[in-house]
Amino acid sequence: MMDLRVPSGWFFTVLGLILLGMGVFAPETRAALTEANVNLYAGAVMLAFGIFMLLLARRASTSKS
Amino acid sequence: MKLAPVDYIVLLVYFAFVLGIGWRLRKGVSSSGDFLLAGRSVPVWITSLAFIAANLGAQELIGMSASGAKYGIMTAHFYWIGAIPAILFMGIFMMPFYYGSKARSVPEYLKMRYDEKTRAYNAFSFAVMTIFSSGISMMVLGKLLQLVLGWDFSTSVLASAAIVLAYTLLGGLTSAIYNEVLQFLLIVAGFSPLAILAVSKAGGWQGIQTRLASPVMTHAWTYMGSAKDNPMGVEIFGMVFGLGFVLSFGYWCTNFLVVQRAMAAKSMSAARRTPLIGAFPKMFIPFIIIIPGIAALALAKMNIGYAIPMDASGVPDYNQVITTLMAKFYPAGMLGVGLTGLMASFMSGMAGNVSAFNTIWTYDIYQSYIRKNAPDRHYLNVGRVTTVVGVVLSIGAAYIAQHYNNIMDLLQLVFGFVNAPLFATFLLGMFWKRSTGHGAFSGLVTGTVAASLTWCLTVAEGKGGILGTVHEFPSAMAQSFWIAIMAFTSCLVVTFVVSLLTEKRPEKELEGLVYGLTKMPSDAGVVWYERPWPLAIAVSAILIVLNIWFA
Repeated sequence: MMDLRVPSGWFFTVLGLILLGMGVFAPETRAALTEANVNLYAGAVMLAFGIFMLLLARRASTSKS
Repeated sequence: MKLAPVDYIVLLVYFAFVLGIGWRLRKGVSSSGDFLLAGRSVPVWITSLAFIAANLGAQELIGMSASGAKYGIMTAHFYWIGAIPAILFMGIFMMPFYYGSKARSVPEYLKMRYDEKTRAYNAFSFAVMTIFSSGISMMVLGKLLQLVLGWDFSTSVLASAAIVLAYTLLGGLTSAIYNEVLQFLLIVAGFSPLAILAVSKAGGWQGIQTRLASPVMTHAWTYMGSAKDNPMGVEIFGMVFGLGFVLSFGYWCTNFLVVQRAMAAKSMSAARRTPLIGAFPKMFIPFIIIIPGIAALALAKMNIGYAIPMDASGVPDYNQVITTLMAKFYPAGMLGVGLTGLMASFMSGMAGNVSAFNTIWTYDIYQSYIRKNAPDRHYLNVGRVTTVVGVVLSIGAAYIAQHYNNIMDLLQLVFGFVNAPLFATFLLGMFWKRSTGHGAFSGLVTGTVAASLTWCLTVAEGKGGILGTVHEFPSAMAQSFWIAIMAFTSCLVVTFVVSLLTEKRPEKELEGLVYGLTKMPSDAGVVWYERPWPLAIAVSAILIVLNIWFA
């Protein structure tokens, strides 16, 4: 059976990279009511979560084999 | 609200992943059990999150944030008192019977424990209900996307239904459950930044409390002594007994949509832990769904360019609170994630309904009444066809709901009547071996009649009372809580009396189905965090702290 941590890890890695890219290369993209660079922070958290899931999946598959 | 190209890219990435998961899981489906029951092989962290996500549909998400703006933090009772105790009870006391009986569905358990007619009553009403609730959820989403983004109603309804159809058809229940977990994570990712941004803009919880003129919106218990004092119009007994006991136990302990997720777990221990582990995230969902609704009220008083959305006739339209907040706080990019989270919630709710409908139709209706002894291959195909039929029927229901609002209100009312007594039937069935099939059936019918009579004889917000007015409720919510209380009590009494008057079943037939005749699973020698009781105690401790904190 597929390890769900792999696709969800990749999903958040991709999402995190998209948002992080927006936050770094288009930092002037802001919403009306906040001064924070929302894309940058949210993207960083999603990327970290995605990589964490991938690491967990990798550890599980190496310890099994 | 206008979307940027990057928002569409996020949406497309999400579509690609849910379809990809379905595609990868298609090979695991070789029997009807794989397709409809996920082969009873899903890891526990996945069933736990799916258990919560299947219930977290678009209607729930939008409705609960709207209630946050309308009733304040009292709305959190739908998650705390109105869900957690029932979830704990189901994991500790009821799962041993559901999972241990080897029943493939909740109606099938009723058939094993009681008789054929009790199963039929439950199976048919549940099948019709799942179709309509997935249709209503679809309608809510289609309308919102039309309003907020100007997307065509039919396009968004048909496109999202097609995607749900594709992945459930490919991988069956496993695919629905796996995607529910991804969707749950995405909902959290898409909504929690909104809660953080909106609350901090409003000056934190303290700031919200000082900005809202009246303290009733930020206290969950303080103003519940009398129905007059709080915006919900509910008094403490109706809340605790009506919502916290009858309605919540009736939903979480007997609704196949959620029970099915736990039954897909790979062992008895995992099945029991599914609801218990799911309870942890469940308790905190109010923070990302209800709190933004309350923050919106405070923000609207700050003159910073945020106003509570109004509909065409100038009445506040709280259903739009969450999307208008996103438009103000999310830049292009994050906005795409937020809206995709909304789509994800819709899909998890719909896939949940469709996969539950599937199993009930194939095993409890088709195999029981239409064609009994076919080879398994045949039922696998029936399950596949049913998936398509279920999605098509839901789309039909969405269009009916869009055009005939009154029919939908009436249907939801009727489902309420049918559901309200259910928990009494299960409670007596699982814990009193003397209860009989005739008792259960007559109790269910009486309970449903009692519920409709209560509605016909009481008035709330101008509704009900078609046979006269015996009592007037301060709110429709209070009325619905009391309808449930009447239904439950009458079902309990009638099942009890009729059971004593009818012939009892030999104890041998009830082994594994009733408390006292079932060997309860032992968890000796297992680490504490894999045992049901310590988990339940941890959940309860957090629940108590949350309730005191927001009292």
